Amino acid sequence: MKKIKSILIANRGEIAIRISETAKKMGIKTYGIKTSKEPSAFYLQFMDEIIDFTEITNDIPEFLDIERIIYCIKEYDIDAVHPGYGYLAENPYFAQKCIDEKITFIGPSPDSIYKLGNKTIAKQLASNHNIPLLEGSSGNIRNTKHAKLLAQKIGLPVIIKAASGGGGRGMRIVENIEDIEKMLRLAQNEAEKAFADPSVFMEKYVRNPRHIEFQILADHHGNIIHLGERECSIQRKHQKLIEESPSIALNDELRTKMGESAINIAKASNYRNAGTVEFLLDESGNFYFMEMNTRIQVEHPVTEMVTGFDIVEWQIRIAQDEKLTVKQKDVKINGWAIECRINAEDVQSGFTPYLGTIEKIYVAKGKNCRFDTGVTEGSNVTANFDSMLAKLICYGETREKAISNSLLALNKLQIQGVKTTIPFCKAVLNHPKFKKGDISTSFIVKDMKQLYHQEQDEEMIAAFWAALNYNVQLDIENETFVDYEKGKNMTPWLMNKRLK
Amino acid sequence: MMFSKSKKNKQKFIACTGNNKKYEFVNPKELYIKQGKENIPIEIVSDKQGFVYIIWKKKKYLVDIIEKNQNQYEILVNGISYPVSVESPFSYKRRKYLAKNKEESKIEQIQAPMSGKIIEFLVEENQVIKEGEPLLILEAMKMQNEIISNIHGKINKINFHPEDTVMKDDVLIEVEK
Amino acid sequence: MDINGKIYKDFLNRIERFKVQNDPDKIKKQHAKGKLHARERIALLFDKDSFEELDAFVTSATPDTGFGKIDEAFGDGVVIGHGRINGRLVYIYSQDFNVMGGSLGTVHAKKIIKIQDLALRVGAPIIGLIDSGGARIQEGVASLSGYASIFHRNIQSSGVIPQISVILGPAAGGAVYSPALTDFVFMAKKTSYMFVTGPNVVKEVLNEEVSFEELGGAEVHARKSGVANFIYEDEENALLGVKKILSFFPSNNLENPPYIDTNTKRDKNIDKLRAIVPDDPNKPYDVKKVIELIIDTESFFEVSEHFAPNLVIGFARLNGKAIGVVANQPKVLAGVLDINSSLKGARFIRFCDSFNIPILTLEDVPGFLPGLDQEHSGIIKHGAKLLFAYSEASVPKITVIMRKSYGGAFCVMNSKNIGGDYNFAWPTAEIAVMGPEGAVSILYKKELQNAEDPEKLKKEFATRYRQEVANPYIADEKGYIDEVIDPADTRKKLITAFETLENKHVDQPARKHGNIPL
Repeated sequence: MKKIKSILIANRGEIAIRISETAKKMGIKTYGIKTSKEPSAFYLQFMDEIIDFTEITNDIPEFLDIERIIYCIKEYDIDAVHPGYGYLAENPYFAQKCIDEKITFIGPSPDSIYKLGNKTIAKQLASNHNIPLLEGSSGNIRNTKHAKLLAQKIGLPVIIKAASGGGGRGMRIVENIEDIEKMLRLAQNEAEKAFADPSVFMEKYVRNPRHIEFQILADHHGNIIHLGERECSIQRKHQKLIEESPSIALNDELRTKMGESAINIAKASNYRNAGTVEFLLDESGNFYFMEMNTRIQVEHPVTEMVTGFDIVEWQIRIAQDEKLTVKQKDVKINGWAIECRINAEDVQSGFTPYLGTIEKIYVAKGKNCRFDTGVTEGSNVTANFDSMLAKLICYGETREKAISNSLLALNKLQIQGVKTTIPFCKAVLNHPKFKKGDISTSFIVKDMKQLYHQEQDEEMIAAFWAALNYNVQLDIENETFVDYEKGKNMTPWLMNKRLK
Repeated sequence: MMFSKSKKNKQKFIACTGNNKKYEFVNPKELYIKQGKENIPIEIVSDKQGFVYIIWKKKKYLVDIIEKNQNQYEILVNGISYPVSVESPFSYKRRKYLAKNKEESKIEQIQAPMSGKIIEFLVEENQVIKEGEPLLILEAMKMQNEIISNIHGKINKINFHPEDTVMKDDVLIEVEK
Repeated sequence: MDINGKIYKDFLNRIERFKVQNDPDKIKKQHAKGKLHARERIALLFDKDSFEELDAFVTSATPDTGFGKIDEAFGDGVVIGHGRINGRLVYIYSQDFNVMGGSLGTVHAKKIIKIQDLALRVGAPIIGLIDSGGARIQEGVASLSGYASIFHRNIQSSGVIPQISVILGPAAGGAVYSPALTDFVFMAKKTSYMFVTGPNVVKEVLNEEVSFEELGGAEVHARKSGVANFIYEDEENALLGVKKILSFFPSNNLENPPYIDTNTKRDKNIDKLRAIVPDDPNKPYDVKKVIELIIDTESFFEVSEHFAPNLVIGFARLNGKAIGVVANQPKVLAGVLDINSSLKGARFIRFCDSFNIPILTLEDVPGFLPGLDQEHSGIIKHGAKLLFAYSEASVPKITVIMRKSYGGAFCVMNSKNIGGDYNFAWPTAEIAVMGPEGAVSILYKKELQNAEDPEKLKKEFATRYRQEVANPYIADEKGYIDEVIDPADTRKKLITAFETLENKHVDQPARKHGNIPL
């Protein structure tokens, strides 16, 4: 395969900027897509060339418009396309289309995307290769009777999930066998609504599990390595909010075991390029395969920080047929990295998205601190896109150091114009249980009494600031000099006319 | 900050916050907060970018006014917002009098916190609801958000249908207390 | 005069009796209701020690019949006088609810009339602080005649001196018409009410249960009826508001509005204006942000904020000088003109015209609101009021077309042809007979019917129409607007333009008055 000289970045925001930075480092020309929803977006400043999609009248969102994107790649004679995450990243049809049109798709094969994208097939694949799975239906649930039988076999509690879903939709936990009919119906309805596919499956429900995922790199020459794990247990409604690498819950033995399982999954699906294998880890060290994400992940920087790999660079190098130069034994994990997602959300009212304009933003950048963002001063936060503004990734030699460095950086990070999840991140990092590493995916619901960090005197300071400003306002109203005399001075012309 | 320090007479302000706490400040322009018998000075600094900080007891607080309407403020301190109503001694009395005399307001309106599309209602008319119970799902920013009831009561009226687009502050549901 | 003599003693005794009437207990009684005393209100409003009271010692009239009892009191339940607000002479009457419920008797009425006459004679603004139970029943028709005389003077003064009413208690029955005739009505939430017939009568006649608040509270009048232009959480803020609005007004219709040094640079940076209108023509934005960027820092004083919010009106300062701003609000109902917004705009424009306050129009209007309800309720005649008011106004009038300017609304919103002095447009402006979607459905009816995918084709046509027909350059080249300007230059352009118009005068044909379609 020939060397990639130009890339279309079919994405926006921080990931578009992230990809362009690596591309630039490698001497690759970048193309970005300008959309009517944010024609002056920050990421466009990082592109060598901009393709204008603003004039298009089409109901398909720009970054999902396969025909148009393929057409532009041909038209501009671009070598490759990087889909980032979301949008077309896990669309087997798009990947296939690229192959048909002789465009390098930076990612796995359409076949891998399809197989791993369908949870039922993915599970089958895993179980065929003896990878630990949560006990569950070895296929979709056929009917209520089937569901009852399964539940009895697996043992309660169980969880019903949509076969082609994600993000928490179409999921129901069943604690009592009497509820199973109702829950099955609800899950099917939701799945049908959300994914146009009512098929659901059942598995054992693990209480207080940790979310552990392994970063995989696989080349076209049969070499597969993993870059260690990430722990993403701090989640709210299945949205990851804080991630770290490595995980305090893993020792070397478990790491080797889980890493091998992850590699086996990749092998089984003939996987190429970068991918992530997600596991649930229970309290006694049993782990269960959940799914494999066939793209770059939002939280990839924590892995980069502790391993020194540039994952995007490897994505590109693998796509242009290069061999992995590093063996598994050479992958070393040094220190600790924590990523805090800074979203434009109002933590005080249930994480509702907060729309507005970023008036000011200040980041104290340092050696141990990386700040990936897609916004700058003047950027608008609109309802068109998700609410993630930035990712703050901090490094430390130990987990304690990484936490304290993150808190330092969070205290210095200032954003004016929108409310953000910064106070939430501070609350998590200050939480004694988090500090001990005693976390699970239900940490936010179970262990956090207050979802935001508050200093003792903050309320009084707020009261004072309001009182002072009101006082000043009153003085202005009362002491402003109004020049009434000026209103009486008129030219003879006007005076004469007005008097008539 | 630009303000005259000319007025020597005592100006007293009572700042009431959301959870009905009250703080009294006499002549806030003299820049101190009284704690016990001690007047502890306050320093106001702003940096190059224009962020404004209050320094009190050697601690730094980032402050910002998000909204202001007459004497009602929404103040952001270190990213957390506080509603504050600044009252004079008289208007504070008036506020207390009106709160006491308030005829049981019968209808509470649940307003849209942002513009968006209604995905579905999770409640029906005449249903009894608890505080903290989700009422509907509103899609904005491609995210589905639960709108949660802030009171106990009975659903009196639902003003929209699923798929409807609503503006910020539209009354979505009326709840009878 | 011997200060130990009887003459001086008598004088002091009288003052002593007067003091008893205003003892702290009476004030406390009023405070207990969450209200300030009539005199406290005056003290808050006027510059220190500037208030001079008139007729403090008059006593109530003796009724012709022996029906009911009249309290013996000085002043007959109203305090009148004059003083200075920000150094300028203002007349005031302030009703005292502690004296016979602030009811309007003959003497009470005479005092108000006296102050109205004085204000009109010297050409100074007048403020009424209203806190009254209504006509004094004991005095019968004499009290009614008092009301009528007050109304008559309100009307005589209209357009000559600014008149402001502040409702700080009940205003019931005939009493409501005096505020309604004045230029601006202020109300305090939860303690002030206005209605023609009270809840008791409503109950008796219609058997409807309704509370004071629901029938005529501040919120109702601010949002539903539009009677109240300003509502406040408390009386102190309401009076502060009165002070503020006065700073925009001249003392009378011959003077120009006053000046305030606002410390705002003439060419303050407003690059942000370039990004404020969204590229998607169907996306809303907040016109108040546009206003705030153009005018002097924090100088906008919005009028009738809660009534017909699809049209934003208010006073502001541009380079220190007062202007009136009329702006379509795309954030609410896409900024469409309906009955309420037409009424709101028309009255505001006529006020500005009366008192030589130049008018700035910020236009982004898709047209008039269609529909049965609007047509049946007379959008034709009500919309005509806005047109009439704009066209009749002879003060400097400047328009900036920010985005949409379609159809009849183009004409109404201060087009050149109805007397706009300078009409600017931003490059985002769309000026046409109707919106692109509507226009192409008519122009390309056949093509669309026969198309495979009519929606797609329609969109394509609409985009073309928007670019080729609705752009502001055609209007510019044909002279229907004066200039297409860079939004970032708007402030500079407006200041210069208003300066050139300072001596503007339009000779009106001699007539008694025009016949505005009421």
